[in-house]
Amino acid sequence: MPIRGMGRHSMSGDRREIVRVESIVKDFRPGLGIRAKRVLHGVSFSVREGEIFGFVGPNGAGKTTTLKILMGLIRATGGRASILGQEVGDAAYREHIGFLPENPYFYAFLSAREILRFYARLSGVEGARMESQIQTLIDQVGLNDASDARLGTYSKGMLQRVGIAQALIHDPQVVFLDEPMSGLDPIGRKDIRDIILRLKSEGRTVFMNTHILNDVEMICDRVAIIVKGRIRYEGPIRAFLKEDELRSDVVLAHLPEPAAQAMARDFGARVQTVGEQVEVQVREGQVRPVLEAALEAGAEILSVTPNRISLEHVFLEAVERGEAAEAGPGSEAEPAP
Amino acid sequence: MTGSLGRIVPIAINTLREAVRNRLLYTLLFFAVAMIGFSVLIASLSYVEGERIIQDMGLASIRLFSVGIAIFVGIGLIHGEVERRTIYTILSKPVTRSEFLLGKFWGLLVTVWIQLVLMSLAFAAVSLLVGAGFHLGHAAALFLVGVELMVIVAVATLFSSFTTPMLSALFTLGIYALGHLSRNLYFLGQQSDDESVQRAASLIYRVLPDLESFNLSLEAAHGLPISGGDVTLATLYGVAYSVVLLVLAAFIFHRRDLE
Repeated sequence: MPIRGMGRHSMSGDRREIVRVESIVKDFRPGLGIRAKRVLHGVSFSVREGEIFGFVGPNGAGKTTTLKILMGLIRATGGRASILGQEVGDAAYREHIGFLPENPYFYAFLSAREILRFYARLSGVEGARMESQIQTLIDQVGLNDASDARLGTYSKGMLQRVGIAQALIHDPQVVFLDEPMSGLDPIGRKDIRDIILRLKSEGRTVFMNTHILNDVEMICDRVAIIVKGRIRYEGPIRAFLKEDELRSDVVLAHLPEPAAQAMARDFGARVQTVGEQVEVQVREGQVRPVLEAALEAGAEILSVTPNRISLEHVFLEAVERGEAAEAGPGSEAEPAP
Repeated sequence: MTGSLGRIVPIAINTLREAVRNRLLYTLLFFAVAMIGFSVLIASLSYVEGERIIQDMGLASIRLFSVGIAIFVGIGLIHGEVERRTIYTILSKPVTRSEFLLGKFWGLLVTVWIQLVLMSLAFAAVSLLVGAGFHLGHAAALFLVGVELMVIVAVATLFSSFTTPMLSALFTLGIYALGHLSRNLYFLGQQSDDESVQRAASLIYRVLPDLESFNLSLEAAHGLPISGGDVTLATLYGVAYSVVLLVLAAFIFHRRDLE
């Protein structure tokens, strides 16, 4: 199957597009199926070769639904999606992709080695190559001591490792991971992060659904943020985390309400009252004028803490915008900040 | 093993391995063998044709319990895979939905055929022990039970491909009951003066499986002649009917959202 070399070259970069999602719409018909509920509203994004792409959103945003469409498990109501240049739904491209579902479950009566043999055979990997690939993966995911124990006795973290091993059994070019760190302890999360980074170093493309932002910040090259079935941002993670874009949190006491409103209006600051205190979040260049205005209004300065803009800020803003858009008109996807 | 077969066989083997862990299967198997044994006790209470009673009861038990196993192990065939999400990882490999369905079908069919062989061995042992004999007619009757099981497993696979285990059980049991009555319904309909009733009866007969065509229990138990042609025809009918059901199941399953 001549998959290598297929896929479009992106307009904005040299690396070719491995995954392309164009205006995907998905309606579900719960209950008696009379009324349709739209869960994806024209979702579009692309994933480029060799990158770790984070698909981020709160619970119920449409991450898993999008991933299921990409895996051919459910059909989109409208729009198009392709992987390695082939329309999703076709079985052929699956030779080149690996998939780890959220909270994977495997036949409890089999051992890790047996289930990996099962998936290897389904993927057309047989004989000596199969046994050597299984041993390599068991070593890589750290299941050597338990590889012959029944999966019914495995912990969640161990099942996640088996899930990653089965996704890689046929040496795929692209790996799709649905909440790979969910429910794992810190050591388990670090191990999975290391595995994902190794996949990237081997030249594979990784698509990762997650709501754990620390992990995204640490390992992803690009992200798309989805809120209530709409893409709010898509772009390089660096665009969110530019070192020169610092914000400071200024905590004040005794700030009169009119002065607080003026700060929000004049300096574009986010002002939040917490009990007796007022937290003002301002861009780095605005700290001095905000402090001067606060002193002039008779407020007391309790602290000034410089903060880098984190993905969490962007994420929370996207969620807030999504909720606002839900309440009113105008809800198209927006460019990266 | 390569191609489709290389994907269907591992799924079938896994289905078989999973099915043999189902306790219900052993319970039904135990009752079937117990009923075959119990027939000896019943026959001993009768003054006439004790051997015939043993064989009638034995064959009836085999039919009843093997169909029970096929239905109650088969109803969760696909649903369980979707519910536990094991199907997600399977279908992310280069496996088509039709191959998955065929793997499940063959896995269950081999399971119920193994049960049938075990029950048949128990039946043959009891028949030989009481001096009732075990001849080619019995083998033909048991063979056709196997063909009937293929049809029932295909029906269970069809319903399991789009509905819940409870509904699947109800539908499959309904088809089993109607399948044994379809020939009578047809003859009843033909006696009507109303042409539309005749046509409706004919249509129902053609759509529903004629499961009585697989029933040679009476002939086998009473030593009546069995035509090889009839057995061949019934086998071809069973295979063709199962193929149609599986094509229909694949068509439905292919369009289904696996949520």
